[in-house]
Amino acid sequence: MGTFEFLLQGLVVAAQPINLFYALIGVTLGTAVGVLPGIGPALTVALLLPVTYKLDPAGSLIMFAGIYYGGMYGGSTTSILLNTPGESASVVTALEGNKMARAGRGGPALATAAIGSFVAGLIATLGLAFIAPFVVKFALSFGPREYFALMVLAFVTVSAAFGDSTLRGLTALFVGLALAVIGIDQQTGQARLSFGIPDLLDGIEVTTLAVAMFAIGETLFVASQGSRVPEKVEAVKGSVWMSAADWARSWKPWLRGTAIGFPIGAMPAGGADIASFLSYSAEKQFSKHADEFGKGAIEGVAGPEAANNASAAGTLVPLLSLGLPTTATAAIMLAGFQQYGLQPGPLLFATNPQLVWGLIASLLIANFMLLVLNLPLIGLWVKLLTIPKPWLYAGILLFATLGTIGANPSVFELGILLAFGLLGFAMRVFGYPIAPVVVGLILGPMAEQQLRRALAISQGDVTALFMSPIAAVLFVLAAVAVVVPLVLRARGRGEVLSQFAANED
Amino acid sequence: MRHFFLASILAGAMALPALAADYTIIAPAGPGGGWDQTARSIQTVLQDEKISGSVQVVNVPGAGGTIGLAQFTGQNAGNPNALIVGGYVMVGAILTNKSPVTLADVTPIARLTGEYEAIVVPAASPLQSMGDLVEALKADPGAVSWAGGSAGGTDHIAAGLIAKAAGVDPTKINYIAYSGGGEALAAILGNQVTAGISGYGEFEAQVKAGTLRLLAISSPERIEGIDAPTIKESGLDVVVENWRMIAAAPGLSAEQTAAVSADIEKMVNSDSWKELLKTKGWQNTYLAGDAFKEQLAKDISATEAILKDIGLVQ
Amino acid sequence: MSEDVSRNAERRRPDRAALVIAPALLLLAAVIWWDASRLSAMSNYARIGPATVPHVVALGLALLAVWTAFEAWRGDFPEREPIETVPVVWIVAGLAGQMLLLRPAGFSIATGLLFALTAYGFGRRKLWISLPVGIVLSFLVWIVFGRLLQLSLPAGPLEHLFFRGS
Repeated sequence: MGTFEFLLQGLVVAAQPINLFYALIGVTLGTAVGVLPGIGPALTVALLLPVTYKLDPAGSLIMFAGIYYGGMYGGSTTSILLNTPGESASVVTALEGNKMARAGRGGPALATAAIGSFVAGLIATLGLAFIAPFVVKFALSFGPREYFALMVLAFVTVSAAFGDSTLRGLTALFVGLALAVIGIDQQTGQARLSFGIPDLLDGIEVTTLAVAMFAIGETLFVASQGSRVPEKVEAVKGSVWMSAADWARSWKPWLRGTAIGFPIGAMPAGGADIASFLSYSAEKQFSKHADEFGKGAIEGVAGPEAANNASAAGTLVPLLSLGLPTTATAAIMLAGFQQYGLQPGPLLFATNPQLVWGLIASLLIANFMLLVLNLPLIGLWVKLLTIPKPWLYAGILLFATLGTIGANPSVFELGILLAFGLLGFAMRVFGYPIAPVVVGLILGPMAEQQLRRALAISQGDVTALFMSPIAAVLFVLAAVAVVVPLVLRARGRGEVLSQFAANED
Repeated sequence: MRHFFLASILAGAMALPALAADYTIIAPAGPGGGWDQTARSIQTVLQDEKISGSVQVVNVPGAGGTIGLAQFTGQNAGNPNALIVGGYVMVGAILTNKSPVTLADVTPIARLTGEYEAIVVPAASPLQSMGDLVEALKADPGAVSWAGGSAGGTDHIAAGLIAKAAGVDPTKINYIAYSGGGEALAAILGNQVTAGISGYGEFEAQVKAGTLRLLAISSPERIEGIDAPTIKESGLDVVVENWRMIAAAPGLSAEQTAAVSADIEKMVNSDSWKELLKTKGWQNTYLAGDAFKEQLAKDISATEAILKDIGLVQ
Repeated sequence: MSEDVSRNAERRRPDRAALVIAPALLLLAAVIWWDASRLSAMSNYARIGPATVPHVVALGLALLAVWTAFEAWRGDFPEREPIETVPVVWIVAGLAGQMLLLRPAGFSIATGLLFALTAYGFGRRKLWISLPVGIVLSFLVWIVFGRLLQLSLPAGPLEHLFFRGS
């Protein structure tokens, strides 16, 4: 049988009513747990996987696919509506999405996230089916130096999230980098900045920091504004649905986000968060509405959301074609597959075509189910904003702490949550952007470890960093990303100065 | 239909507490790792075999299990329903992290499974045998980069033992630490490093597909089904086993310890546990009671010695 | 001359609150530098050891501290809206209370208190309504996520009342 027949057969099995029903349950459960701030897809899948054990292989595979995509998608709703991203990959979604929601455009923001996720999931799943071998070859050519170059690129483009002040953006980034130092150094096993506290040995959990800085910091900040802020927000201004202009501004970011997210998700040290950062800065570069960024540009939601879902499918590329679990989620899936007698590895496509294509068909169905479930719910989600503030924010804190306690039931973790909540509050008061802190915490350790690995392999030879074509290209891109805006700004300033001169006359 | 489904799981949840002997198992690692999988496997078997009514797994990740260990001993002294999964990695982590809580603070119940370390090279590598690798290591230890798990972990210890046995200064090994098995595997497959060292299970599929060459395995004797010599056969006296165990809380009475041990023994002897080991590809290395405690003490002193040699423990 | 006058009019007064940030950053930099300097540099082939990156971060923070002091002195920080601290204190008390009560009282009571105090901070002063509402809501959440979805949420007396042995 050829590729198409297998896929078709898989789709026929997956489209049986009972399997569709399992897909719906999976998506619902996945979204319900994934929506909790602090609980990412890995924990969602680990928690819910046993639920699937009781079904037949086809049913359990499809329910699992639903849980995976549901857990991946769940975080975006709270990021957009409540400015409380639940995992690192939806931090940038909150940047523009929440601004849109506050302007009464939560409906279109949620819609572009849902449809973008669907489009990205569809294309990336098809990519998984047909071009996985090529993608995986590309992904494996990334060694430490290439990753380091990628991190450098991510660092220079992250200034897109700095807001209006370079000083405050950089300070926030460096605070994130300082937090990133905390914990055991991977290469030498020594504890850094831990002051003998065992709970700090593993560093600051990214999700805890994100929930603290965003959810708790935001709640405290809103509370401190007192009665000056109206008790209810106007949830819908204009249409709850996407307008023609929204569609026109969204489709390209969806495709670009997919193109960025899929290969980065396939990279063993990539990940949905990096994909979403790069997509956000790419959209800022490409957008005709660059001035709207930071005030609620729909491109800034469409791109990163697509990137983050495409990378979820990308993660499956090395898993299915090489048996390489590159993320915690993938490692759990690997364990899950074993119960179907599936041994992911280089021979999987050849030895177990039915199951592989069954899984891919299930992913397509689950992706579709996600859209079916979420589009009609948008109107309902937006109404969340009409809940009176005391109850809304009390509820946010309930769920934010629930996520943290569920992920790690320790009093210390709650203390961290409170401490960084206060830091997030103080930073808001002084006009510091929050996202760079989280970005620094994510990128810092990756960049450091990859650099040190690269130099250890080359035995201290720095020039070796630039001796690979991919790394060289990435470094050049990074240099361009630094230089071009500087040139543009210099020219822009020139214009302003000449205008000044003209006024003086 | 949906109501029916919800109602039935709700009913199921209500019915659970009716059964006896509940356990809470701490998996001192994040979801997905070996300890987490071990804990969740124990959970499944204990429940399926009706040995326990309700088993909950709690992940307390971090620092080679020492954070979970500290939390476990701190909160559960004298609690016969609390269990923790652990293993050889903990032995090293306790030493390198100078953990105030050690394995002496828990009640070891039994060693359950084990895995041996495999040394692999990419298929394209010029190194054909363990002997070639040792030669390269002796010629220039810096030029041989090893990809494996975190610093001070089983993989690092095994690499250090190999260097020491080959007469090379263990502090001179060029060990590249990776966080997860997948990341290290990708580096080896991508020809980024000279050799890889990790549990055999990490490499099995690749070895079978011919993309990695298995040079040696760290078992005392050859293992059926694994086509590779032992490290011993290449003239280096190195045996490393990455075992996983289950332990109970400190301060239990002899009867309480016996009850837990009996439950675990029942689990190990059940068909579903054997079935599970087979699907996971884990070796059954069940060892309980004083024999296990003796083995543990031996492992701890040997590990301390090699970590000092590598320079990770002063 | 006229230029000088307009500059003086534009110059804002030093921002005292913002001036506190600079020493805070400097302190952070000093702590990182001190901590990194204790690390033992083991022989390694990368030439950059575990202390390199912390030192770079500390230097960066120190430079940013100087820059911050400069901007704060010139009053270049954005104007802040006055903030009310009382609601913030109530919510922080709720979070701290939850943290301390979580173990002894279980998830529902601890989180119910957080819920009620947060609502109080936002102006709902009727604790005799919001506290029971919060506890009941948290208990329902505990049933759904703790029992059905197997999330490990600490149980206390209330949970034990309904679910034996959890």
